[in-house]
Amino acid sequence: MSPNAIIESLPLTEPVLLILLSLAGQPQHGYAILKDVERMSSGRVLLSTGTLYGALRRLLDDDWIERFEEEETPRGRQAYRLTSQGRRNLQLEIDRMKHITRLASLRVARGES
Amino acid sequence: MLNLYRKLVHLYPAEYREVFGEEMLAVLAQENENSARGKLIDRGRLFFREIRGLAGGAVREHLRIAFRIQNELSFATGRFTMRNGFRFPKTTIVFMLLILGGVLTAIKRGEDIASSVPNANPPLTVHVQSVHSILLGGMPLFFALFYAAGLIGWAILFALRRSGVHRLAGMSTEQK
Repeated sequence: MSPNAIIESLPLTEPVLLILLSLAGQPQHGYAILKDVERMSSGRVLLSTGTLYGALRRLLDDDWIERFEEEETPRGRQAYRLTSQGRRNLQLEIDRMKHITRLASLRVARGES
Repeated sequence: MLNLYRKLVHLYPAEYREVFGEEMLAVLAQENENSARGKLIDRGRLFFREIRGLAGGAVREHLRIAFRIQNELSFATGRFTMRNGFRFPKTTIVFMLLILGGVLTAIKRGEDIASSVPNANPPLTVHVQSVHSILLGGMPLFFALFYAAGLIGWAILFALRRSGVHRLAGMSTEQK
């Protein structure tokens, strides 16, 4: 994916951001991602299975995540993990959000004083 | 409930189902199992969320594939065209010329008949319905049939084009 294409795909939607954050810590399988997203958003973002797999398919196509067969699981369950490109793009999004929050804090503080 | 989910997963494109179908059903089964202990209202919400997600996802994936095929075709040829292999048979030209000849002959015969009939109109013995009422009755039916024929034709061409691209995508390098 070209740098321009990455910039175009930012900002990420909240469900996609939460899915990537869920995979940032450790590889996860589908159901674990669903529950993790729910936990991280305090129950505000409830993904359906169709929505989750639509997002996973897009992230796989763009090479942000990869799919692999979990070891020592019944019937070789599939799991997902971030690729180096996915981790880099997630970091870009976090930097962008940090910049926005810093800017927002400054502007609000200036308005209060 | 799982049977309904299975049917909805079946609405996804085949290539998508091959990759994610079983996995999605496993997630749905697990979710179903865990929600069985919950309140009825929560189960209801989950059920509707999943139904909506699966139906919407299936539509999105079909549209994505349709647009991807369109893009592949346009990039391959550099312009928006129909499938390269599609050709009208040569006999089409012969049939079109025959139809044109028939239309011209009919016009000529009509003119001959009109010129042989005296100009004065005969007195009307039966009640003749006005032209407008006849046309207005037939027009919606005509347009409905016209659009239906167009839709069927488009569906056939679309199905042929899709199946052709899928066959090409499924071929191994050696076959190509």
